[in-house]
Amino acid sequence: MSASKNIMKFPKKSRYKPETADVFVPMEEGGADWLRALRKSGFDELKEQGLPTPKLERWKYTNLLPLVKNFGAELGASDVVYEDPDKLVQNMGVLFEDAPRWLIDVLSQAPVRDDMALWHLCNAYIRDGVVIDVPAGEIVDKPVEITITGHDGAFFVPRTVFRLGEGAELTVIEFHKGEGRYWNNRVTNVIVGPNARMRHYRIQENSADAVYTQNTHVQIERDGTYEGFTLAAGAALSRNQIHAELSGSNATCDVSGINILRGSQHGDTTLEIEHKAPHCTSHQFIRSVLGDQAHGVFQGKVYVSRGADKTDADQLSNALLLSEGAEMDTKPELEIYAEDVKCSHGATTGKLEDESLFYLRSRGVPEDQARALLIEAFVDEVADKLGDEAVREIVRKRVEIWLKK
Amino acid sequence: MIEIKDLHVETDDKEILKGIDLTLQKGEVHAIMGPNGSGKSTLSYALAGRDGYNVTKGTASINEQSLLDMLPEERAAAGVFLAFQYPVEIPGVQMSNFLKTALNAVRKARGKDELDALEFLKLAKKKMKELGVSDDMLKRPVNVGASGGEKKRNEVLQMALLEPSFAVLDETDSGLDIDSLKIVADGINKLRSPERTFLVITHYQRLLDYIKPDVVHILADGRIIKSGGPELALELEEKGYAGFLGQAA
Repeated sequence: MSASKNIMKFPKKSRYKPETADVFVPMEEGGADWLRALRKSGFDELKEQGLPTPKLERWKYTNLLPLVKNFGAELGASDVVYEDPDKLVQNMGVLFEDAPRWLIDVLSQAPVRDDMALWHLCNAYIRDGVVIDVPAGEIVDKPVEITITGHDGAFFVPRTVFRLGEGAELTVIEFHKGEGRYWNNRVTNVIVGPNARMRHYRIQENSADAVYTQNTHVQIERDGTYEGFTLAAGAALSRNQIHAELSGSNATCDVSGINILRGSQHGDTTLEIEHKAPHCTSHQFIRSVLGDQAHGVFQGKVYVSRGADKTDADQLSNALLLSEGAEMDTKPELEIYAEDVKCSHGATTGKLEDESLFYLRSRGVPEDQARALLIEAFVDEVADKLGDEAVREIVRKRVEIWLKK
Repeated sequence: MIEIKDLHVETDDKEILKGIDLTLQKGEVHAIMGPNGSGKSTLSYALAGRDGYNVTKGTASINEQSLLDMLPEERAAAGVFLAFQYPVEIPGVQMSNFLKTALNAVRKARGKDELDALEFLKLAKKKMKELGVSDDMLKRPVNVGASGGEKKRNEVLQMALLEPSFAVLDETDSGLDIDSLKIVADGINKLRSPERTFLVITHYQRLLDYIKPDVVHILADGRIIKSGGPELALELEEKGYAGFLGQAA
C-alpha cells in the first residue's frame, strides 16, 4: 500500500531577524520628496532585515543586539563642535532645504552589500550631519576637527559626506566621546576626486557603556589617495566598517587602525577594499592590544575585479593579548579576478615576548614600565606610518594615557 | 663582594647547576669556561633573575644582599648587569628611549636624581664617544638590524651608563670577528675598576687574551671542577675540555 506523504512546507530559513527592528517607528513626514523617499526606503529595508545578528556572515563575531536593546524608540541628539579654520563645514540639515543634486545622489546611494541594515537605519532617520565639499584644486592646510559628544540615553544616526574635487586636499580629525550609555550609528561617504588626497582620522574614545557602529564608504578616483586611520579605545562595543572602492587607475587606499581595549570591551574592524581599476595600491594595517576579557575582531577583504591588473594590495592584522581572557578573531580574505597582481595578507595573535621583557627588566626597567614600552612600540609601528605629524602625536599621547590607566 | 654558595638551578624540570660555589672579591675578574651544555648560560640567567630558571638550593649575594629574592629590575638596581650572549632586538623601541628609561629607573632606585632629556643626551654622547659607538645608534630601534659587533658594543654602552658593581658577560665573544672582539674587549677593559667585579663566561680562551682574568674556573656538568690562575685557561686550550673532564672523572 502506498500512502501519499504529507509534505510539510517549512518557511525558508532567513539570515535576517526582522523582529529585531520592531522597536523602530517611522519618522514624522516632512521635507523634500527625495528625503521622504530615502527615509521610507531606509525604513522598509530596516524592517525587512532587522538589526544584524551573528547569523550574518560578517557579523559572526559581533553580537550587537544585547547592547542596543531599547534604543531606537526615539532619536536623541549629540553635540557636534568644529574646529574649522577655513569655514568648510556645512550643516546637512540646512542644506536639505535646497539640496544640491550631487548630495542627493550620494546620500541616496545604496549600500554595496545586503547585510547593511545599520546603513538603512541611518537613512530611516536622516535629519542632519556634516558636509564638507572641497572644490577642485583647493588645498586645505589646516585639519578640520570635528568633536562628537554623545549623552546618556541618546540614540543618534548622523550621516557625513566629504567630497574632494580634482587635486583637492583635506585632513579631517574626528573625536568621538561621550558620557553614559548611548548608541551612535553613523554612515560616512567619502569621494576622493582625481589626484585628490584625503586624510581621515578618527579618535574613538566613546564612554565605556556606549555602542559605536560606523559604516564608511570611500570612493577613490584616478591618482587619488585616501588615508584612513582609527584609534579605537572607547565604547563597550564598536564596529568600524569601511568599504573602499578604487575606481580609477593609480589610486591609493591606506586603512589602518590601533585598537586598545580592556575590561569587556568589544572592538570590530571590518574592511573591504575593492580594486576596480589597474595600477592601484592598498594597504590595511591593524594592530590590537587586548587586556582583561576584551574581544577584538578583524575581518579584512581585498577584492580585485577583472581588469584591475597590476594591483598591489596587502593586509596585516597583529594582535597582542595581555591576558588569558582576551580574545582575537581574524578573518583575512582575498578574492582576485585580475592578472598580474601582488596581494598578501597576514594575521598574527601573540603575547608580549618574554625575552624582550626580561631584557628590559635586566636593565633596571620595572615590569610595568617594560610592558608599557613594548606595547607602545607595538602600536607605534602603525602610528608611525600616518601622514599627519600632529595626529601621530595625538595617537601616541592617547596610547600613553591609556597605558597609565 | 659576590658570594655564590651551593647554587642549584633547574630549568624545564631539569637540574642544570648542581652546586656552584664562587666568591668574587671587589674589583676581581673571574672567568668561567665550560663546554656547551655545562650550564654557563644558566648561571648567568639565574644571577640576573630570568623566569624559568628556578633556584632550588643555595644562595647568591651581592655585598651581603641576597640576590635571589629580587626581581630582575631590582637586581639591576643593586648593581648586577648581564651582557647578553644574544642581545634582544626590540622593534619600535628607540635606543635613546630605552637607555634613558633604564638609566633613570636605576638612578631612581639608587636614590639619585633622574636625568632630563638634555642631561641624558650629554651623558650618553660622552660614553658613546669613549667607546667609539656612533651617535646614529641612539635613533635606531634597540638592536634591530645591528651587526653582531654593534650589538655587543651596545651592551658595553649600556654597562657604561648603568655603572654596575657586578657585570656578568655571557659569551661576549660569540659571533664576533677578531676586530670586533678587540673593540668590545677594549670597551670592557675601560670599565674595569677596583669597584667593579666581572664574571666572564666563555667557551674559548681567546676572549681572555684581551680581558685578563684574575681567576679562571672550569665548569662541567653543572659543577666547577677546577679553579686556578690565568694559566688554567691556557692549559685548557692545550688539553681541551675532554682532557680536563677525564681528569675530573
